[in-house]
Amino acid sequence: MNQQWWIGCGALPLWGTSLTIALVAPGLVGVMAPALGQSALPAYSLVVTSPLDGPVADDEVLTLREALELANGTLTPEDLSAAEQALVEALPAGQGSQISFALPEDQAVIALVDLLPEIVAPELVIDGTTQAGYDADAGLDPRFPPAPVVSLTVAEGIEVARGLTIAADGVTVRGLSVYGFRTSDRATQTTPPSDIFVSALAPPVDASPLSPVLELFRLETPEAAPRGVVIEQNWLGLPPDEAFPAVPSAFGVTVFNAVETTIRNNRIQNHDGSAIITGFRADGLQVSENAIIGNGLSGMPDAIRLEGTIDRSAITNNLICANDGSGIYIYRPEGATQISGNAIQYNGRRFERAAVYLMGSDHQVNDNFIGYQPGPGVVVTAYPESRGNQIRGNRYAELDGLAIDLNTQGNIGVQDFQKGDGPNPPRNSHHRRRETGNAAIDAPQFDSYTFATGPGQVTLTGTADPNSEVDLYRVDGAGFPYSPLSERLGTVTASPEGSFSASLSLPPGTRVSAIASDPEWGTSEPAAVAAVATADGAVPELPATPIELPSCAPPAPPPEPEVPPTPLEPLRLEIPRNIHFALDRSNISSESAAVLDQIAASLLEFPFLTVELHGHTDPRASAAYNLALSERRALAARDYLIRQGVPQERMRIVPFGLTQRRSDESSRLAYARDRRVEFVFTDLRGLEIIFIDQEADLQLE
Amino acid sequence: MRRIQRQLCRGLLFLLTLVLTYGLGQFGASPPAAQAQSRIFINQAVAQFDGPTGPVTTASNETRVGENIVPLQIVKTADRAAAEPGDVVVYRLLITNPSSRVATPLTVTDQLPRGLRYVPNSVQTTPLQPTQQVLTDSSLTLTFAALDPGASISVAYAVLVTPEAVQGDGRNVAQAAAPGFAPVTAPFQLTIRPGIVSDCGTIVGRVFVDRNFDGQQQPGEPGVPNAVIFMDDGNRILTDPDGLFSLVNVLPGYRVGTLDLYSLPGYTLAPNLYRIEENSVSRFVRLSPGALGRMNFAVTPTFGEEQS
Repeated sequence: MNQQWWIGCGALPLWGTSLTIALVAPGLVGVMAPALGQSALPAYSLVVTSPLDGPVADDEVLTLREALELANGTLTPEDLSAAEQALVEALPAGQGSQISFALPEDQAVIALVDLLPEIVAPELVIDGTTQAGYDADAGLDPRFPPAPVVSLTVAEGIEVARGLTIAADGVTVRGLSVYGFRTSDRATQTTPPSDIFVSALAPPVDASPLSPVLELFRLETPEAAPRGVVIEQNWLGLPPDEAFPAVPSAFGVTVFNAVETTIRNNRIQNHDGSAIITGFRADGLQVSENAIIGNGLSGMPDAIRLEGTIDRSAITNNLICANDGSGIYIYRPEGATQISGNAIQYNGRRFERAAVYLMGSDHQVNDNFIGYQPGPGVVVTAYPESRGNQIRGNRYAELDGLAIDLNTQGNIGVQDFQKGDGPNPPRNSHHRRRETGNAAIDAPQFDSYTFATGPGQVTLTGTADPNSEVDLYRVDGAGFPYSPLSERLGTVTASPEGSFSASLSLPPGTRVSAIASDPEWGTSEPAAVAAVATADGAVPELPATPIELPSCAPPAPPPEPEVPPTPLEPLRLEIPRNIHFALDRSNISSESAAVLDQIAASLLEFPFLTVELHGHTDPRASAAYNLALSERRALAARDYLIRQGVPQERMRIVPFGLTQRRSDESSRLAYARDRRVEFVFTDLRGLEIIFIDQEADLQLE
Repeated sequence: MRRIQRQLCRGLLFLLTLVLTYGLGQFGASPPAAQAQSRIFINQAVAQFDGPTGPVTTASNETRVGENIVPLQIVKTADRAAAEPGDVVVYRLLITNPSSRVATPLTVTDQLPRGLRYVPNSVQTTPLQPTQQVLTDSSLTLTFAALDPGASISVAYAVLVTPEAVQGDGRNVAQAAAPGFAPVTAPFQLTIRPGIVSDCGTIVGRVFVDRNFDGQQQPGEPGVPNAVIFMDDGNRILTDPDGLFSLVNVLPGYRVGTLDLYSLPGYTLAPNLYRIEENSVSRFVRLSPGALGRMNFAVTPTFGEEQS
């Protein structure tokens, strides 16, 4: 079973023999059915005892590479030394191989020097929880698994595209920390580098002369796709000490061509691109109870990006927090997915996108919490035609847009594919159905903007599409006609004539909205807000709900005996509010780094401080170029702060380009002052902070 | 049964009774042979019905058949018979009222063929000035208060021939109309020669997510909307919602296009595992005169954007 690709970059010259074998074999492998391979492979129980990586050798220790080759059948125990054979134990036929770990203490970091062989052994279990020191009870929340002990990463100065490449049915990867897998730029990019890549015959990394011929790279036959791969209790993208890795991974899990993959109880953090991205086929993908935090830092910004065929997939009970784009973006899929029970919050750190963006039909978005997004909650696209998306039972908070936004009039602009297009006019023609998301189901309309409360109860009346189910919501936040829907109050069915009426017991001052759902068309946008008034028509102000602190942190251990809080003294604090850059540069100078250290220290000391990073440039060069440059500057500053330990959810990127100069002068000094990132602190909590416009790091041309 | 009768009665009460009086009038005492020419038939319809408040009579307007109405005359000319893209053609219309009645109001319309555009503010009329004019890129409507018997109006306007005119037929029709007069039309056929665009080519292409890294779009590989392609001559092209674009009237020669990666955040150029030549940030097309070139851009989800 030489079904792996041998990739040129970083291949050691010693491996010449293996390379020839691999290149000869594909002709045989191409015709071999996967089922045949399953029965043919002998099963072993393997104990990895060395974190070293390198060519297969009959030495005293068993490496992960040797273990995988044994499981794949490309190496037999006879090729090994006696000491190694003692670590290999044959298992009865019909069972999958098991790889467990007994690494020496303090040497649990496996640093790869080249791609590991593609896993073609069905039912193989790679279990990092077997390593001594793994505390299975340390996790308080299933979404935050206990810290793994064994890490899989890349040796320093070497480029390895993928951690584990899985091409066989039923493979399980458990309890590993996998990080640092990426590639450098070629003329075009490489095929997606990932911590874990699941595909039948993964494509080679690039088209280098050492890559094999490509007759085998087939996507069309679904039988060849690995079925039932399980990835659980891993930390992807971050080492066991939770530090930001020196080399961040590109993508977390790429489900490129696989069916019924399960990704559960993982912590997926700090990736340049998406945490979970699908490629050609991901039918039956199950993503449940993961913590997906701070991904998309400089690449595909969405935390979970579903593309290709995704029928019967489900995303349930995840925490999706502080990612740079949407929480979930479904792009031109085939098939429907179910999104339920997730907490999708503080996303859109870099792109003002919707928390959930839906393309395609018949998706279910139920019982999620969606909040703290600089964009709308859920957007349904107008093109390609998308209908029947049920978006019910969700709670929303602090959105910059509608809770549910259906794009209308065939809107296909740049903003429409990111932020939606705002409230729709009522459907005035049946043609609207074809050019609006969810077939232009009309938002309910209350008969009045205020409803006087009767004795104990208030009767809300209005109109909606005939026979649709109208979910009534309580709305937090005053002043806007489309505030986020915060709590579902109940459901009534509209009459065949299209009127609804509901009697509820609500205190005066409550503000209500509603959405209508039709099993055929889907769910509507929210109704304009109405208020409950007292019997004499006055609308009292209800106390505002407190603002939540942005946090994606794992649940804290049970609190220790409470110490009496010290009364907050009026603090006076001095924080610098800008750093400067060299001409056409976005790297942080050592002087700027000293300034950033002060800012990071303040942010770490006061966890309620949040900051917007405003990037600016001098006025030379085009507006578009400068906008990109200012974004790179803000990203560089954020990257530095992340590495100092500031959580992503407290920072937002806002590029301004050349639009906001410091002065109108055109001297070298004025230009140097223009090339800056400003830190705009929000949510000061009465803290008296003096912001200093420092110029210690000014860089003249 | 009685109920039906009652309903019938009530229905009858509101039933419309149409009484048509066909009035024939004779004017003059000419002999029958000469009468045939000057005989005018005046026709009017009258409707009468029993409303709830009693019988109501309404009468229509009079129509006069046989009246000798001399039609308007319209003549259309241009300063040239053939034009090329880039030329300005001056059209002239002459509208005359040879009848003995006043044409009021007089409406002159002209619908231009494909690819011809009005030059703004180029309409000149003598001796009358229009009371209302509606001008768009491709149509013109002028309204004059009145055209006296025997008088005429001259209208001149300039039209720019754009490259798109090559695809049209160059024929346009002006029309003059006034109440009581039958509309008259005057066509003008302009021969459109390709001129400077005769050897231009066309570039088509697409931007799509490549999943099997072969540089071709297959089923399951969606297009990317709103991607920007820059050409070597500064043209900026935006893809449609399916990721397609086409560019007509491209000068032949060596043309280069590149994808503006800033326009599609999260994506970058995909590797091509089959053709090393296509692992490039730009596409190079040798466009022969009149030929069709192709520029496909395969993209894939990206990471590490700060590297570039």
